[in-house]
Amino acid sequence: MSVQTPDVVVARDVGMSYPTASGRFMALDRVSLTVGDGKFVSIVGPSGCGKSTLLQIIGGLAAATSGEILIDGVRIAAPHPDKIGIVFQEPLLLPWKSALENVEFPLALRGEPREARTARARDLLALVGLTDFADSLPYQLSGGMRQRVAIARGLVRKPRLLLMDEPFAALDEQTRTRMWGELLQIRAASRATIVFVTHSLVEAVYLADEIFVMAARPGRIIERIAVNLPRPRTIDMLGAPVLGALRNRIWNLIAEPQS
Amino acid sequence: MSAITSWRVRGGQLAVVLVLAALWELASRSGAVDPDVLPPLTKVAGIVWRLLHDGDFLADLRITAFECLVAFALVVPLGLLAGFVLGESQTLDRTLGGTLQLMMSVPKSVFLPVFVLMFGIGIAQKVIFAIVLAFFIVVPTGIAAVHSVPRGLVTAARAFGATRTQIYGRVYLPAMAPLIVGGVRLGLIFVVHGVVFAEMYGSTGGIGRSIVTWGEGFQMDYLLAAVMLVLVATVTLNETIQAVETHIRARRGAAS
Repeated sequence: MSVQTPDVVVARDVGMSYPTASGRFMALDRVSLTVGDGKFVSIVGPSGCGKSTLLQIIGGLAAATSGEILIDGVRIAAPHPDKIGIVFQEPLLLPWKSALENVEFPLALRGEPREARTARARDLLALVGLTDFADSLPYQLSGGMRQRVAIARGLVRKPRLLLMDEPFAALDEQTRTRMWGELLQIRAASRATIVFVTHSLVEAVYLADEIFVMAARPGRIIERIAVNLPRPRTIDMLGAPVLGALRNRIWNLIAEPQS
Repeated sequence: MSAITSWRVRGGQLAVVLVLAALWELASRSGAVDPDVLPPLTKVAGIVWRLLHDGDFLADLRITAFECLVAFALVVPLGLLAGFVLGESQTLDRTLGGTLQLMMSVPKSVFLPVFVLMFGIGIAQKVIFAIVLAFFIVVPTGIAAVHSVPRGLVTAARAFGATRTQIYGRVYLPAMAPLIVGGVRLGLIFVVHGVVFAEMYGSTGGIGRSIVTWGEGFQMDYLLAAVMLVLVATVTLNETIQAVETHIRARRGAAS
């Protein structure tokens, strides 16, 4: 099926359930969403709402039990590295490869000639500000640097879509705040569409054009919120009343069903 | 560890060896220990030198080395492969895991008479016994190696388009490298152990048979000389492989 659509991601009635000792567990119940070209979309929700599972299904790493995912109008059921890049919560770098080799890795898997892939990987390392650390091994880098290498690796095959699964959750607050600014710059330079899963409501609001709010048991989308903050986003906006109001609105949405 | 402390440790280790050697020599020469039971170190060293120029002994040494080499070349790939298959398949691991545990805990040497009856006292029996002995040590290392591959790295590689072959070749193999080298090292130690032990039990040649002959003839100087040769050979090989292992781990920033 190949419908021409301006949406990079279309999820239609995506369901995911698996058997447990106490009956079938509904991880996702008829989740539908669309992500427009070039948009930055955040997905937030309480633990166990299935937001990471949803991201894995969009990335082709897990199979939905019902419904379908279209990327660029094409139905997918397996990883699609030329269209989708993924950044995980952990950097997941190969510990025996240098930063540069790690960024090259997705190109090497495709059989790209060494010279071309090294040049491309160097560009990406420059984009994330790690030119001087190309030859460093992962253990020699800080947590924030490792995650920047992971972002460079996610973008190296020029994907239209970058999926990010709580990529800054393991970083300290200072590093995380700095990474927000860098991610927005990287996004402007790469023009990739981004779907960003996070626990942090402030992070979700600050980064995104649009937010999908999810609830648990069963995992489902309960609200779609447009973020009316102008771009470029600056660090001062973290104190803006609009941001605080949005954050509180989402908080009430998430907190309500549990109280 | 800094270079200076590293050299201090090495100096200390050397000092310990020298003091022990001096004590051995003194104890024997002063008569504190019966020199017939413990001949002086210098005498034993002289015999080592003589043995290394003795055609009969060198022929025995070659037989032992050959048996070790064949057993080693067979059991390490075989054991690691079996460990890999068991480690990858939960069903197989559950079905055969218990049997494997049992086989590991059984002292293999009690089966030596059976091996002799089945395979005689020639080279084949030494090789087979050594393989059986080492196999049940190498297999668990292979299983541990597979289990040491971080699942997240596999998921990430899949996301970047890695095929199954690429995942095995580019993620599994390098991730398992430290434990594979460890398996090679254990395989070597137990192969030498198995071969020499089988030779001592019943054999027509090999260094193990020589050791028994000298022991029964109360030729302690020759016996100790042969023991020292085996010791130096295995320790050298072991240390070499360990150095490779340490190097691999250090390159990844893991404590060795």
